[in-house]
Amino acid sequence: MKAMILKEFQELRRDRRTMAMLIALPIVLLVIFGYAANFTITSITTHVVGPNAAAVTGAVPGLFDVTGTDASGTSQDAKDLVRDNVADVVFDTNTTPFTAYVDGSSLFSAQTAVGALNAVPSEQLTVEVLYNPDLTTSWVMVPALVGLILTFIGTIITSIGLVRERQTGTLEQLAVMPLRPSAVIVGKIAPYFILASVDMIVVTLLGVWIFGVPFNGNPWLFAVGAAIFLFVVLGIGVLISTASQTQAQAIQLAMFVLMPQILLSGFIFPLSAMPAAISWIGYCLPLTYFVEISQGIMLRGAGFGSLWVSFAVLAGMAIVIFSAAVLRFRADLAPRAPRHADAEAAS
Amino acid sequence: MTWGARDLTVRYGSVTALDGVTVDVVPGEVVALVGGDGAGKTTLLRAIAGAVRPASGGVESPGVARIGFMPTQAGVWRDLTVDENIAFVGASQGVRGADLAQRRAALLEATGLTAATDRLAGDLSGGMRQKLAFSLAMLHRPPLLLLDEPSTGVDPVSRVDLWRMIAAAAAGGAAIAMATTYLDEAERAANVVVLDSGEVLLRGEPGAILERVPGHVRTTPTRAAGTATWRRGHEFREWVPEDPPPGTARAADLEDAVVAASLAKEAAHA
Amino acid sequence: MPDALLTAHRATRTFGSFVAVDSVSLEVRPGEVVGLLGANGAGKTTLIRMILGLLGVSGGAVTLFGQAPSRATRARLGYVPQGLGLWDDLTVKENLAFVGETYAQAPIPVPDALAGLSSHLAGGIGLGRQRQVAFAAALGHSPELLVLDEPTSGVDPLSRARLWDAIHAAADAGVGVLVTTHYMQEAQQCDRLLLMSQGRAVAEGGEADIIGDTRAVAVLTEHWSDAFEALDAAGIMTMLAGAHVRAVDASQAQVSAALGAIPARLEVVPATLEEAMVARERAGS
Repeated sequence: MKAMILKEFQELRRDRRTMAMLIALPIVLLVIFGYAANFTITSITTHVVGPNAAAVTGAVPGLFDVTGTDASGTSQDAKDLVRDNVADVVFDTNTTPFTAYVDGSSLFSAQTAVGALNAVPSEQLTVEVLYNPDLTTSWVMVPALVGLILTFIGTIITSIGLVRERQTGTLEQLAVMPLRPSAVIVGKIAPYFILASVDMIVVTLLGVWIFGVPFNGNPWLFAVGAAIFLFVVLGIGVLISTASQTQAQAIQLAMFVLMPQILLSGFIFPLSAMPAAISWIGYCLPLTYFVEISQGIMLRGAGFGSLWVSFAVLAGMAIVIFSAAVLRFRADLAPRAPRHADAEAAS
Repeated sequence: MTWGARDLTVRYGSVTALDGVTVDVVPGEVVALVGGDGAGKTTLLRAIAGAVRPASGGVESPGVARIGFMPTQAGVWRDLTVDENIAFVGASQGVRGADLAQRRAALLEATGLTAATDRLAGDLSGGMRQKLAFSLAMLHRPPLLLLDEPSTGVDPVSRVDLWRMIAAAAAGGAAIAMATTYLDEAERAANVVVLDSGEVLLRGEPGAILERVPGHVRTTPTRAAGTATWRRGHEFREWVPEDPPPGTARAADLEDAVVAASLAKEAAHA
Repeated sequence: MPDALLTAHRATRTFGSFVAVDSVSLEVRPGEVVGLLGANGAGKTTLIRMILGLLGVSGGAVTLFGQAPSRATRARLGYVPQGLGLWDDLTVKENLAFVGETYAQAPIPVPDALAGLSSHLAGGIGLGRQRQVAFAAALGHSPELLVLDEPTSGVDPLSRARLWDAIHAAADAGVGVLVTTHYMQEAQQCDRLLLMSQGRAVAEGGEADIIGDTRAVAVLTEHWSDAFEALDAAGIMTMLAGAHVRAVDASQAQVSAALGAIPARLEVVPATLEEAMVARERAGS
C-alpha cells in the first residue's frame, strides 16, 4: 500500500495542471474571500440636483460620495442620472420633501443607502428606489446569470466539444479532407453559438416570467451585447481547446477561467467594495462588462449612450480573443512549422 | 503442473465471449492464442488470471501472486519513470532488496533500457514501452506468464527483441500463454490455438496444425468462382471442402490454414 | 507508362537538428500497391504526413498528381490512418454521409456487407467492421490514390484477406495504393516495397530485393535453448522459430564457434523478409 501512495504522488507531481489547481486554488480563494468578499459598501457615488444642491451636498453623510451637482437639474434629470448609471443615489431638491432616488439595480449600494436614509425622518426626505423597488436579489441575479450561462457554454462546453475531436484523432482526418479551415471552425462553433443563444433566451424568459424580473430596455440592444459577449467566450473556449490534449485538461483550464469571473465580475461581491488591488482583475474580465450591459438594459432600460463603454470593451476583447483563437486553430489544420513534439511522434 | 482453461465458458450479459474452450499452458513452452478482435483472446487470458468469473468450466492457475500479466496497452504507468515503474511493481509483488536489484539489472539489460531509467515511461517508443511492460510482468519470476498481444503495433525490430525475451523466459521454465494477431509469431510457438468468436477453430503444433484444416486450399492463377476465394499477392487461393490429392498439404502456411478454417466454419453455419 | 500519382524526390524533413526523413525518393503509379516498411522511428509516418500535405518539406520535393500537395489534391486522395479516423459518436451511415458530402457533395451509400450495421454507432462495432467502414469512406469518393496506415492491424486472417481483396480490387481498377505495415504477410501482398531505416531508404524493390544477400544459418539441434543462449551470448542475431534456432547475418564458422560443444547440424538458408529487415536495421545503427 505504501508503494501505491508513493506512486500516486509521483504521478501527481507530473500532472502540472492538477498541481497548479492544488496549489494555486487555495491561495486564490483565500485572497478573494479575504479581500473581495465584502458586502459592506463604504462609499456610494452620489449626485445632487435642484435649487438646494449646494446645501444638501454639505449635509449628506460621508457614506454618500458626491461626485457631481446640478443646481438647474430637474426631477427627470435626476432619474436619468440613475438610469444612465452615473450615480447610484441622486438627491432631488426640486421636490418637497426632497427625494432620494436610489438605483435598485446596484443591489448592495442600494441596500446600504436605504439603510442609511431610513434614519432620516420621512418629512424631510422621501426615498424612492428605482428599477428594483423591493430590492429583490433575484432581479439583480438573473441578468447576471444570463451572462454566466453564456460563459459556461462558451468556455467549458465548447472546449470539451472541440477537444473531443483532438482526443479521438479525427482532427487529423479533418485536416486531410478538402475542407477550408474556416469551414471547419465555423462548422464546429456554430452549434454552440446557437445553443448558447437559445439558452440565453430561455433563461431571460424564465427570469421574467417566474421571478418577475422586468425587461425595461431594448431587446435588440440586449441581443447585440449578448452576441458580442458570445464571441468573446467562444473565442476563449476555442483557445482552451487548442491548449488541451484531453477533455479533462480542457475542463481544468476552463475552470481556471470561469472561477475568477464568477467571483470577481461584480454580481456576487460588489466591485466597488473591493480594494483596488483586487477589483482591477474584475475590470479585465469580460463577464463584468456583460453584467453591466444586461443589468442596465433589463432593469434600468438604459440605452447605448450610457453603456457604450462596456460595448466597446467587449467588442475589443472579441476581436482580439477570437482572432487569436482562429489563428491557433488554423495552425492545427494547415501544414505546420517544425515543432519538437513532432520529432517525438516521428515514425 | 499444467495450467490453463478447461471447457471454459464466459458470458458478458447476453454475449458469449468464450464457449467451451480448453487450452493447456505447459511450463517451458509458449502457447500462441491467435484470433482477431473479438475472438476471445483477452477474455481467455483474464479468465485464467482469475479476473473474470466463468459461467461454466474452470481454470487452473497458480494463484494471482504467481502470475505475470501483461495487458494489451496499459502495462506501464506513463507518468512514472522506468525506475519508478520497477520500484512500484517490485514493492507490490513483494520483490525487495538485493533480489529486486538483481532482477532490475538483468531485465534492464535484456530490454536495453539501462540508460533510460530516468525517462518517463510515456516518453518511450512503443517497442520500448512494451519491453518495459514485459519486464514488469516478469519481475517476480512468475511460473505462469499471460501476455495479451505483447507486440501489436510494435515495429519488427523490437518484436524480435520481445520474442527473444519471451523465449528466454520459456527456456527458464515459465509457462507462457501469448495472444497475438501476428501469425508468423504464432508459428514460432510450441503450440497454437486459433480462436474465432469464442470458440476454438484450430489447434495443434505449428507444423501439424496445417493438416487439421478441413478440406484443403488450392492456388489458382485467376480468381475461382464462388465466395471461398481470396488473394495472396499475385495469386489466388481457393478453399474447397474435399480432401487434398495424396501427397499435397492441406494448407501451405498458418495464414492459409486459418482463412480456410474460418471459411469452413462460415460454410457450416450458412 | 502512365504518370505517377505520387512522387517524392529526395524528400527531406528536419526538426531542428534532427533529420526525420533523409532524401527519400518514392513513386506510386496507377494500379500499383507500394508497401512502406520500417521500424518505429524510421520516418514512415513523417513521410506520409509530407505526402498528405500535413507537414511541409525541408528539402527535395513531394508531388501529388503532378502538383504540390494542396486542398485540391486532397479531394483525389483517400486516407485511412492508424486510428481509422471514424467519428465514434456517429453511426456508420452518418460517418459515410459526412465524408461523402465533404468530398463529393453526396453521401456515400452503406456497402451491402455493412447494411445491417448502418445505424450502429461507429464506436460500438468490432474492429474488423470498423476497418471496413473506414475503407468504404476512403474509397467512396473514387480517389485516384489510397494511403493506408497499418490497414489490417489487429484483425483476424479472414477479415484481413477480405480487406486485401478490396485493396487489390481498387488497384485493378487503376487506383494507386501506398501502404505501411508491420505484417510480413502483408508486405508480400505488395507489388513493390520500400524499406526505411532512420530516415533513409535502405532497400527497394520486390521481396527478393529487400532480402538481398542476407542469409541465415538454420541450427538443427535437440538442445535448442542451449544453442539459443550460446548464440545470443556471442552477440549473434538469433531468431527462434518454435524449436528451431536461426542465426541471422552470421557465417557458418561464426555459428560453429559460438555453439562450441553443443551438437548441431548447420544449414545456410535465405533470410526471411523480417530477418533481413532487422539485420539491416542493426547494421545501420
